[in-house]
Amino acid sequence: MNNSRSAESRPVRIHGNRRLFLYYWNRTKQNKLAIAGLGFILFLILLALIGPFFTADPTHVDFAERNVPPLGFSTEESIYDIKTNAFTVNLIEGTWKHPLGTDGKGRDMLAMLISGARISLEVGLLATLIAICIGALIGVLSAYLGGWWDNVLMRFTDIMMTFPFFLLLVLIIFMFGPSLTLIVLVIGLTGWTGAARLIRSEALSLRTREFITAARALGASDARIVIRHLIPNVASLIIVMATLSIPGVILAESALSFIGLGDPSQTSWGIILNDGQKSLDTAWWVAVEPGIMLFFTVLAFNFLGDGLRDAFDPRSNLDAR
Amino acid sequence: MRRIATVFVILLIITLVAGSCSGTATTTRSGKTGGAFIEGSYGGDGETLNLLLAADATSHSYIGHTIDSLATYDNQLSLVLRCLARDVDVSPDGLVYTVAIRDDLKWSDGSQVTAEDYVYTIKNLMQSDWLNYPYKGDWEENIEGKETGIIPDVVNKTTFTITRKTVDPEFNYTIYDLIPYPKNIALKYEGNVDAFTRAPEFNNLTYTGNLGPYKFVEWIRNDRFVVQRNPDYYLGKDNGAPYFEKYIVKLFGTSATMEAAMESGDITMCGIQPDKASKFKSNPKVNVYTIPSGGYNLIGYNQRPNGWGGLKKAAVRQALSMAISKEAITQRIYMGFAEPAYSFIPVTSPWYDADSVVKYGVGNLFNKQKAAQMLYEAGYGIKKADGGYQAAGKDGNPLKLTLLTSTGGGIAENIAFFVKQELADIGIQVDLKQVPWETMVRKYLMSKVPGKEQEPRWNNGPDAVSDEAWDLVLMGFSTDIKAPSGSEIFFISDGGLNFMGYTNLKVDELFKRVKSKEALDISARKELYAEISKLLSDEQPVDFLIFGRGNVAFQKNVKGVDPGISMGYNYYLWYFE
Amino acid sequence: MRKSWLQGYILKRLLYAVIIAWGIVTITFILIRIGPNSPADKYLANIAARGQDVAQVTAAIESRYGLDKPIIVQYGDYLMHLAQGDLGWSFSTSMPVIDLIGKHWIYSFQLIFLSSLLAAIIGILLGMYSAVKQYSKIDYIISTFSFAGISIPNFWLGVMLILLFSVKLGWFKVFYDTTLPLLSLENLKALVLPVFTLGTGMVAGYVRYTRSAMLDNLRKAFVTTARAKGLPERTVIGKHVFRNAMLPLVTIIMFDLGSIVFGGAYLTEIIFGIPGLGQISFNAVFANDYPVVIAITLIGTFLALLVNLITDIAYTYFDPRIRYE
Repeated sequence: MNNSRSAESRPVRIHGNRRLFLYYWNRTKQNKLAIAGLGFILFLILLALIGPFFTADPTHVDFAERNVPPLGFSTEESIYDIKTNAFTVNLIEGTWKHPLGTDGKGRDMLAMLISGARISLEVGLLATLIAICIGALIGVLSAYLGGWWDNVLMRFTDIMMTFPFFLLLVLIIFMFGPSLTLIVLVIGLTGWTGAARLIRSEALSLRTREFITAARALGASDARIVIRHLIPNVASLIIVMATLSIPGVILAESALSFIGLGDPSQTSWGIILNDGQKSLDTAWWVAVEPGIMLFFTVLAFNFLGDGLRDAFDPRSNLDAR
Repeated sequence: MRRIATVFVILLIITLVAGSCSGTATTTRSGKTGGAFIEGSYGGDGETLNLLLAADATSHSYIGHTIDSLATYDNQLSLVLRCLARDVDVSPDGLVYTVAIRDDLKWSDGSQVTAEDYVYTIKNLMQSDWLNYPYKGDWEENIEGKETGIIPDVVNKTTFTITRKTVDPEFNYTIYDLIPYPKNIALKYEGNVDAFTRAPEFNNLTYTGNLGPYKFVEWIRNDRFVVQRNPDYYLGKDNGAPYFEKYIVKLFGTSATMEAAMESGDITMCGIQPDKASKFKSNPKVNVYTIPSGGYNLIGYNQRPNGWGGLKKAAVRQALSMAISKEAITQRIYMGFAEPAYSFIPVTSPWYDADSVVKYGVGNLFNKQKAAQMLYEAGYGIKKADGGYQAAGKDGNPLKLTLLTSTGGGIAENIAFFVKQELADIGIQVDLKQVPWETMVRKYLMSKVPGKEQEPRWNNGPDAVSDEAWDLVLMGFSTDIKAPSGSEIFFISDGGLNFMGYTNLKVDELFKRVKSKEALDISARKELYAEISKLLSDEQPVDFLIFGRGNVAFQKNVKGVDPGISMGYNYYLWYFE
Repeated sequence: MRKSWLQGYILKRLLYAVIIAWGIVTITFILIRIGPNSPADKYLANIAARGQDVAQVTAAIESRYGLDKPIIVQYGDYLMHLAQGDLGWSFSTSMPVIDLIGKHWIYSFQLIFLSSLLAAIIGILLGMYSAVKQYSKIDYIISTFSFAGISIPNFWLGVMLILLFSVKLGWFKVFYDTTLPLLSLENLKALVLPVFTLGTGMVAGYVRYTRSAMLDNLRKAFVTTARAKGLPERTVIGKHVFRNAMLPLVTIIMFDLGSIVFGGAYLTEIIFGIPGLGQISFNAVFANDYPVVIAITLIGTFLALLVNLITDIAYTYFDPRIRYE
């Protein structure tokens, strides 16, 4: 989402060079926020991996325990008697059994949030991976084939770039049914334009550089040049771009779920939020909690992405942070 | 998409607005004129004000503000005549209906509304081939296997007849809903669908004269529909009605925002979700009326070849219905605002007969142990070590069933989850499939005979199957409280909505008798309905779950409301204090 | 001299815009028409409930809107009408698409316009301050907040604002009231929450961009020269640094304005019940009302392209050295 605005940075080769990796790691490390972001992401991954072993089944419903507030809060529930026209009022208090409360079906919020973390990470990583792969392929092809091909591919990229992305997403998901796989695919298949352009321009500028000319003079094939020289050289750009586009993808999935086009068989944060929006005044926590998770996750990726960009950018001055 | 979830809401709108006036104007109560009445609504906008093109309830309710139908009902379900001068007269053989309309009805150009307009509307518009009126079938009857138009005739300026060849004791309700088009305008567009669709007169309701309490002002799509007081309204001559300067339908995206707007006093009236009802009932600025409805939730059992074989046996269906507590659904999902359903006829219908139904899912017919045992006896269970029973497939493997429901959340989704939980208790693993409404219909509910060239339909005969297999489906149906025979489409063998594939020749015959001369006699008809109810509540082609109770909130300063099942019948007499 | 190349350039870009728009219409059209849905879908149950044959009525409704013709004929018809400026008839709202858009664009526009304007002013000021006071405590706070701003899901923010200010505190209505005159204080008040929802991310974007652009320019030689000449700091920042940083900023502001139809406005409109183009297109998707979907996609695209063009031209005035080929 915000990668289009990111300042351009120069490509730095990091592939297969431990010393260089350490150098950038040290540069990244100086950015406390980036480290905090990385820490949160690692924590989230851990949570998604081992959390489910310690929490209740996120799909287990229990209508006897619906709308239990988080620990430390309490609410009232009134049940109507059709014969006497009177209400029975029950006081519901938060319990240790459901520290973050339950939703309107009595599902454990903590368990659902953890399962949502897994979904968000999966969607974010997979869709970004697809997008970057397609982007790299089109970018490299465009740069190396040049001429007519370059023109066609870049015009196609322009069309895809101008396409109102979210409407396209809504349209496709509405027509072909809300499934997580489809959501990942569609985001991946439409989100590659930035990567394609960036990689093309880098590839074009690299083509004229001396070491490529040298490699070619030594008889290296195009494929070899791309794999051994070009890709490693744009890797840093790709990493920064990927890190900064993951939050956009996570938000897109949540937004889609939020408007009712999420995969109903999954408990993603957006889906919980959509449910919560309907019961804002009776069970606020159902809307508040997934939003907080979403916010911190996106923030963490933005911090990390920003830190990486600074670290890979030789011009940036890191001393003062 | 959200259709199932909003069945009750839509129903509420129909009952509130479809009936919009009372006939003989004996009411002399006169309110103050003034103010804007704002009705809150959610779940989607109408589609068109061109009546014959509208297939959705919201569009019909919009149009209903500006033009009255022939008759409506009050809360006791007694007939309230509107544009009629006297009752719709039915000949003793039940074949000829004679309708006499008032002589003081005017179109906007001042010309009189005549019998000619009504007959033209039926004959040249509704029954025409060029217009493709979606509900053309209402005005057709089946004669020797062929759909044939029912014949309207002009008798004189204010009288026309409608002649059938077959008896349908509940056809008068179709007549009561009739709304005419002005012949002299419609003639301009006759034969040209495109022109008719775009006709400015029909799309802006400029022709409605003195026929409705309000006149159309504006309609901002997805936002609001506005009508203003019609000072010439034919029923307002003596009492100055209606009393609101404007009537506005305001649309909301979610029920939660609508309820919040009600709480802050920004709207005058709206429906309330069950879990918010107690809050509104204790709000001193608001009156909340709890009213019964004909909408019910059910679980359909797939008795077609691609469903679980067990569902073809009545004993298995009874066992499943016995494992699902209707009381718990009422208490925990509807917060008490519902009552158990045993057949398609609601308790509030005059045709309901409490003694005839078998009450599965409550009392001693809610028993999970017994349910598991019944499944065992039917060959679908195993005996557990402790002597109890558990459901299982024929081969002793765990039993897995697919439960379909449409996406969109809300109460239907909650019930689906609840049913899953209940069936898990007797050892059935329910795979909950939430799919969009359109997908559900196309992929799962509509069927065709394998290998045969035909269009998929809801019911293509007993051998037809859907693309995707399913076992259970959660749906909302609604019954016309006054004329429940319309529900036959779900339950008779060749019923147009019998997607479950249920067949019972006895049921077919009973429904046929309801639509015959014999049923012209009220007590005979009541007996027939009792028999059908008994049969269906025992056979359980579907598990009838609950009939919902709607809650409608009004700001306290609205006077003249007569709360009840058809509370909109006198809405033109409501006023602000 | 300059004029002539500019004219050629504009022509080329316009032609190019037409090609892109055609591509988008085609993709949207194909996508919609290969989908399994039909505008008759919503009647499926009603039709059967009234004893009608589903297949027959579906066919009737489709023929009413010309959807029974082969897709290539429909596509040709659509392009023909489009070329004549006819965007078609919306069958889910029963009015010409052009009228529908004409009635509703203003709601989107006022939201985007106010949000972009306020966000640009606040964002640029904060960004400048942050850059000038680099590494100060305030810089640090502003930077952190701007991170938060770009990370907060705006649909969630909207819901939270409604929960707090409308439901709990009752300061604002829970919905946007279209009866208010557009140019009135009440209308401004009604737009506070939506603008805040939409603007937060924008402000954050502007802050981050302005700050980094200003810092880039502050390091450049001409600044050192200006300072060495003894110009007051205010002049250095205002005249030299800011003017140069302005250029890319214009792009962003224009980009935001161009996203009248889409971007975050889409969700904001839905949450606050603003009947703008976002909500219209959203409902049209659900109603399978394809003339509306295509038209709004097309308008969104055209605006984006137009804004790009205007920005490019504006560049040449800001910086006469710029030349396009």
